[in-house]
Amino acid sequence: MDGTAFLGAAAENLLPARLQMAVTLGAHIILASLGVGLPVLMLAAEWRYLRTGNRHWYVLTKRWSKAFAVMFPIGAVSGTVLSFELGLLWPEFMGRWGSVIGMPFTMEGFAFFLEAIFAGIYLYGWDRLSARAHWYIGWPIAIAGFFSAFFVVTANSWMNVPSGFQLVDGTLKNVDPLAAMFNPATGAQVTHMILAAYLVTGFVVAAFYARQLLKDAHNDYARRALSLSLWIALPLAPVQLIIGDWSAKVVAETQPVKLAAMEGLYETTAQAPLHLGGWPNDQAKQLDYAIALPGVLSWLAYGDPNAVVLGLEEFPPEEVPPVAIVHIAFQIMVAIGTAMVLLALWGGIAYVRKGSWPRSRAFLWAIWWMGPCSVAALEAGWIVTEVGRQPWIVQGYMKTAEAVTEAPGIWPVFAITIFIYLALGVATVLVLRHMASVPVEEVQDGS
Amino acid sequence: MGPEDLLLLVLMTALTIYALFGGADFGAGVWEFTSAGQSTEKERRHIYKAIGPVWEANHVWLIFVLVILMNGFPLAFAALSRALWVPLLLAMVGIVFRGASYAFRYYSRGSRTELKTWEALFAIASTATPFFLGASGGAIASGTLPIDANGAFRGDFLTGWMTPLAIFTGFYEVGLCAYLAAIFLAREAAAIDDPELAPLWRRRALSTGLWMGLLSASGLVVVWLEAPGLHAGFMSRGWPLVALSLLGGIGSLVELGRSNYLRASLAAATAVTAVVWGWGVAQYPLLVPPSIDKDMAKAPDNVLWMMLLVSTIGAGLLLPSLAYLFILFKSSQALEEVESTTRLKGGGESASHSTA
Ligand code: HDD
Ligand code: HEM
Ligand code: HEM
Repeated sequence: MDGTAFLGAAAENLLPARLQMAVTLGAHIILASLGVGLPVLMLAAEWRYLRTGNRHWYVLTKRWSKAFAVMFPIGAVSGTVLSFELGLLWPEFMGRWGSVIGMPFTMEGFAFFLEAIFAGIYLYGWDRLSARAHWYIGWPIAIAGFFSAFFVVTANSWMNVPSGFQLVDGTLKNVDPLAAMFNPATGAQVTHMILAAYLVTGFVVAAFYARQLLKDAHNDYARRALSLSLWIALPLAPVQLIIGDWSAKVVAETQPVKLAAMEGLYETTAQAPLHLGGWPNDQAKQLDYAIALPGVLSWLAYGDPNAVVLGLEEFPPEEVPPVAIVHIAFQIMVAIGTAMVLLALWGGIAYVRKGSWPRSRAFLWAIWWMGPCSVAALEAGWIVTEVGRQPWIVQGYMKTAEAVTEAPGIWPVFAITIFIYLALGVATVLVLRHMASVPVEEVQDGS
Repeated sequence: MGPEDLLLLVLMTALTIYALFGGADFGAGVWEFTSAGQSTEKERRHIYKAIGPVWEANHVWLIFVLVILMNGFPLAFAALSRALWVPLLLAMVGIVFRGASYAFRYYSRGSRTELKTWEALFAIASTATPFFLGASGGAIASGTLPIDANGAFRGDFLTGWMTPLAIFTGFYEVGLCAYLAAIFLAREAAAIDDPELAPLWRRRALSTGLWMGLLSASGLVVVWLEAPGLHAGFMSRGWPLVALSLLGGIGSLVELGRSNYLRASLAAATAVTAVVWGWGVAQYPLLVPPSIDKDMAKAPDNVLWMMLLVSTIGAGLLLPSLAYLFILFKSSQALEEVESTTRLKGGGESASHSTA
């Protein structure tokens, strides 16, 4: 790197490169989550069809698989963009750490390939396989989707808690790719992410049918679809709360500054309070307008209401992430997660009492809202993880500013990216809406 | 032969398969582009049907090439990402548009203009992507990228990659894709005994093949003039492969002339394979000439061994699945079946939707 010229270019590039990464990842994660979740829904519907012979389930399976067929290639394409971008935007990062962090990406390559192959067989194979064989062919799609998500998120957890190597005089020694993949953050992060993928799929699909039922309460087909998707979403909501708490404990242990930013905790405190809401005030170094629940944070993070939680004051200012973004994103995620649990309680109680999900319009409205909200929780969670790690790209080892490319024109590239992604997003929605507008009766005769 | 050499063999294999199957896939789009004004609805459907079930799988090979470089040869990955900033970025845009417009075109139930828009995007992106990927390969092969041994790039980010060989290779790659596609499509048309499509694609394959012969010959001249390092490699080690690719190319033309499409496909595939490996062998052990060789770029040995293990296990799962996919949809028998069910249903729009 030749001195100042390089640093100048890289410093200017940092912001647009991060925005570019955030936008492309933020778009990919939605498609990827649906890619993980939809196959499970398809398999469930097809299983009901095999068991009952009811035509509605068949139609449902076909329609979901068509939606999957549109989303899967777009997800794949957006993922290919990411694998280019890791090099194009962050060449220092990849050049330096590729041997440590690359293994999960290699593995994901295989998992994804299997998913693509079986997706091809499944989607085009309706007429060529027996009903049962067709159902079995769907399984590898769901399993490979699971492992795809598993592998990539291990890479991200490594960026949070780097392990599996030693640095001797600036050179990498004793690289152990498995230890890197299975680092202390992996368990919680991977579980939390995969659950999020199922939750998002369940709620987004449920929201779609809740909307239809709000328009026409006698739509039997929508009723079944809603019921099935709720079976995926509602039971997982409380589980996600528990895993989220596990995630927070891991963060408390491994990235205390991130935890302090998440909570807007400026001063080191024993019996630290959990803050609900609030606006971080960086000048006064305090959290304005928050409701404090004394001791709860200490208890959540360390299992002891009197434990000391480090505040932001303990860390050099240049190593503190943007507190406002991290805190607010965290609040959004937790609020939505809690709302999901309440919804699950509502649905669960009704189910135990009456043997079916609530049929009231209020419940349908709530489900309809939870669709977009679940996506918001997904994005908010990633913002906590990624922005909360700043200024590091590899926690404690490499600053994001050191990793960025020196190439020119990142702002225009970013502008064009926004334009392309918006256009594709609109087009995807239009195509899906077109599909959805085909009346169910028409679908029945085979097309 | 260390683990890095074995991994390079894996890398070259993935690259070759991508060149063949991804190439044929791109080529189908190139044909949409070049025959835009003239082709009938039926011809276009033939193209789309041929790509159908396998297109997704065909493009994952590129991802393997990327992740093997990233994981096994990180220094080379970083250096190439810097030096090929522009062509890789453009190829990436092409990949986005190609994939998205294909999916939209296939599943959209929209108006004619909407379909036309997706078709046009698909055709343009299918032509642009192989051009920029080919140009990237050519830029590496010319051996003049100003890259330091530590992977830093000293050239101009915008124009540094534009060597004459890079530009030539861009066009050459597009031609190769079109040639492969024409042969494969001729084979599929012949398998379903279509009286119009079979001769059409045979004619197209023959004329493209002749052009590719000319281009290949001039390519050798370009290499000789512009890439002395690669030329030396060809002379000392790569020449049997160069010869093989010429033989393959001529063989494919002869077999096309005889309407033996299976053999023509095999011969053309041999030619393309020989070109890819000829380049690799001539350049070995340099990964990013002139400065970075395999030993400088490689990850630690245990990482490489583990990648090989992962690749072996992965291949054990992949290859049978992939074979099943192709047998199910691409064997001659499968092609005939699809055609007859389509006819029973009265062809038309249902042809593209009923399989979905
Ligand atoms: C549907 C989505 C969803 C819901 C309802 C929740 N989360 Fe979450 N959360 C995610 C989706 C998500 C995520 C987007 O998937 C993240 C980003 C990285 C990750 O692994 O998961 C995440 C990250 C994440 C992190 C940061 C982990 C890190 O930086 O390593 C914490 C501490 C929590 N979550 C905690 C919670 C708590 C306490 C919740 C309680 C209700 C909760 N999450 C609900
Ligand atoms: C394995 C998965 C992931 C990897 C390897 C990864 C990698 C990266 C990298 C290299 C950067 C740029 C450097 C930085 O700012 O730290 C980044 C930033 C970012 N990523 Fe991730 N990321 C992953 C998952 C995600 C997902 C799914 C999202 C979804 C929203 C996301 C959101 C962001 C955001 C918002 C930033 C910008 C951070 C900032 O500017 O402060 N990341 N990520
Ligand atoms: C089934 C679900 C998913 C699908 C279909 C999918 C698709 C893809 C594809 C095709 C690629 C490029 C191929 C590759 O590099 O291996 C990719 C890369 C990537 N995906 Fe996804 N993905 C999925 C899940 C996820 C999840 C859950 C995350 C994040 C939490 C994620 C984050 C990334 C990142 C950061 C990359 C770039 C890294 C790389 O080069 O591998 N993906 N994805």
